[in-house]
Amino acid sequence: MRQPYYFIIIGVLFSVMLTAQENKPVFSGFVRNYTGILTKDMDQFSILQNTFNINVEYRGQKTGFKVNPYVYQYFDKNIDFGLREAYMDFYSDKLDLRVGKQQIIWGKAEGVFITDVISPKDLSEFLLRDFEEIRTGVTSVKLNYHSGNHTIEGVWVPAFTPTLMPETGSIWAPKLSFPINPTWDYSTANKNLTVANSEAFLRYSLMSSAFDLELVGGTFLYDDPAMHLTKQIDPVTRQLTSLTVRPDYHRTNMAGGSFSVPVGDLVIRGEGAFYDGRYFQTVSPTAADATIEKNFVHYMAGLDYTLGGVKLSTQFIQERVLDYEVSMNNDEVETTMTFLAKKDFFRERLWLELFAYVGLNNEDALIRPKVSYSVADGVDLQLGANLFTGNTGRFGQYDDNDMLFMKLKYSF
Amino acid sequence: MTNKKTNYKQMKTIKLLAITVVLLFSGVNMMNSQTTGLQVMQKVYDLPSGKDTQAELTMTLINKQGEKRVRQLKQYIADEGSVEKKIMYFTAPADVKGTSFMNWSYSSAKDDDQWIYLPALKRTKRISSGSKGDYFMGSDFTYDDLGERHPDEDTHKLLREETVDGKPCFVVESTPKAKGHMYSKTITWVLKDTYIGLKREFYDPNAKLLKTLTIKNFKKISGVWVILDTEMKNVQKNHSTTISLANVKINQGVPASKFTERSMTMGQ
Repeated sequence: MRQPYYFIIIGVLFSVMLTAQENKPVFSGFVRNYTGILTKDMDQFSILQNTFNINVEYRGQKTGFKVNPYVYQYFDKNIDFGLREAYMDFYSDKLDLRVGKQQIIWGKAEGVFITDVISPKDLSEFLLRDFEEIRTGVTSVKLNYHSGNHTIEGVWVPAFTPTLMPETGSIWAPKLSFPINPTWDYSTANKNLTVANSEAFLRYSLMSSAFDLELVGGTFLYDDPAMHLTKQIDPVTRQLTSLTVRPDYHRTNMAGGSFSVPVGDLVIRGEGAFYDGRYFQTVSPTAADATIEKNFVHYMAGLDYTLGGVKLSTQFIQERVLDYEVSMNNDEVETTMTFLAKKDFFRERLWLELFAYVGLNNEDALIRPKVSYSVADGVDLQLGANLFTGNTGRFGQYDDNDMLFMKLKYSF
Repeated sequence: MTNKKTNYKQMKTIKLLAITVVLLFSGVNMMNSQTTGLQVMQKVYDLPSGKDTQAELTMTLINKQGEKRVRQLKQYIADEGSVEKKIMYFTAPADVKGTSFMNWSYSSAKDDDQWIYLPALKRTKRISSGSKGDYFMGSDFTYDDLGERHPDEDTHKLLREETVDGKPCFVVESTPKAKGHMYSKTITWVLKDTYIGLKREFYDPNAKLLKTLTIKNFKKISGVWVILDTEMKNVQKNHSTTISLANVKINQGVPASKFTERSMTMGQ
């Protein structure tokens, strides 16, 4: 076990449970086997994972808590034990206070992160993890003020947590192209636990008959690193002799919002955010470390609809760099679409689902067909595929990772 | 995904208590020989059902082999005049536990507003009120079956009077005015003394009997007639669904704060 001190936390919380008077703690969770094979080599597993996930929740009249430990056991690497959430709640008529490690989800977009920037992402399996597992908990203080269906939410995150990237050698490690094998300098990647490095967020939300609305803002360290390059060039041959890559996380400010509105049988969703400064890679000779800071906008428009019993959903997403320069490595505008079709059979016992990300810039895609069958109440069998198309781009870079998978999940 | 069991997008007009909690009868006179089918169904529709209701609901899906799948939830309903608000918390099975669903239904022609909270997503999502003809949570009840269908939507004909289990009933045939409805007609047996709909037959577009709804148990709680046990049987596919209510509380006061995003996310 990598983090045995979690047991101490759990022990303390269980002690609290035993003294709880108003309600009993509730246990829930799941056990799951997840087996995948690569289609290019049907003899090779892409994943062989067993998961145990348990939620222990207690909710009294004025207080409560939740602990969500998990264990991932793999065939080819160390067991992964952690706490997805561990927090305490304090309630009053108008105020809710939550303190501890928690997942905080904002916005209306699905499968895309625009204003949903508080909980860092776990991309150790790219975007393939289930939604509840792709966001990591973050230690924070969250205060909500409620007035009818209006809510103001403030969040303070004292310690920075970056996006969890795939391990070196993983089939999901992003393809980075450097002219020579670089040296990595992580001196600035680990952020000190200081108030100056803390993050703060604010949200106003409204749920009304006509529409739902969120207005958000935040100042935080961007969860994905900027790669600062230092090159050594031989003055005689003008050849690159060494390359140092220094990942760093930079502060940015974000303001945005999201909405959803019913229009007949449709639900129209939208979300957008403006980022005051993000770092991008550039080949400009004037950029000393091959990075450049630019403002950035990220937005989405989506539709949900049901036709003939088939649930349909689509989203149009764009990421746009403002004041773009042609020397930048990425495109000025990157456009992605998502599509979802889902239908049940046999009184919701069998579900067919097709979800796809399509990248329009690189003509690449991730296509995820899935069949789910409810073997019994709480027991689900899933058979599916993750199919990557294209050669480059966010999805095309994993073209060799097409996989078939099976998940057997017992919920309790 | 937990949402796969909830069939949430079609939760239009669930109005579960419309079939499970209904029909206060207070001194309605027996109808004379001029009674029409419309008058009977209007009486059924007009009877009050309490200002607010709380209950625990168990829905059992039974297939033709007799195998059972059980869904349990808590529900709260409040009549706020021009809008009826309802919130449901799913408590079983385990993979839908923690899911909540809220519906605001309007006395005007406005479409219902609906939201669902999925604990796996930690997000409250607005959903389309969708098709009334879809089945609720894989049961034999459509959203239309569970809703309060206004008498003006159908043409009614009083077929006869007869007794069911020794109880005198009006027998009313109702034919949808709109084309393309999933039922070509329904026939309802309405108790003459309480105006409770005791039994209903649903006919498919080919005029063949599709489903039969039977009230198994009802009693008066806080002055309101409450239907506690009901069964819907699909006679063509030979499967059925039962709905039972427990811990029913009428007019105990359900606060407005119950029908908020905060309540959905907290699950209580």
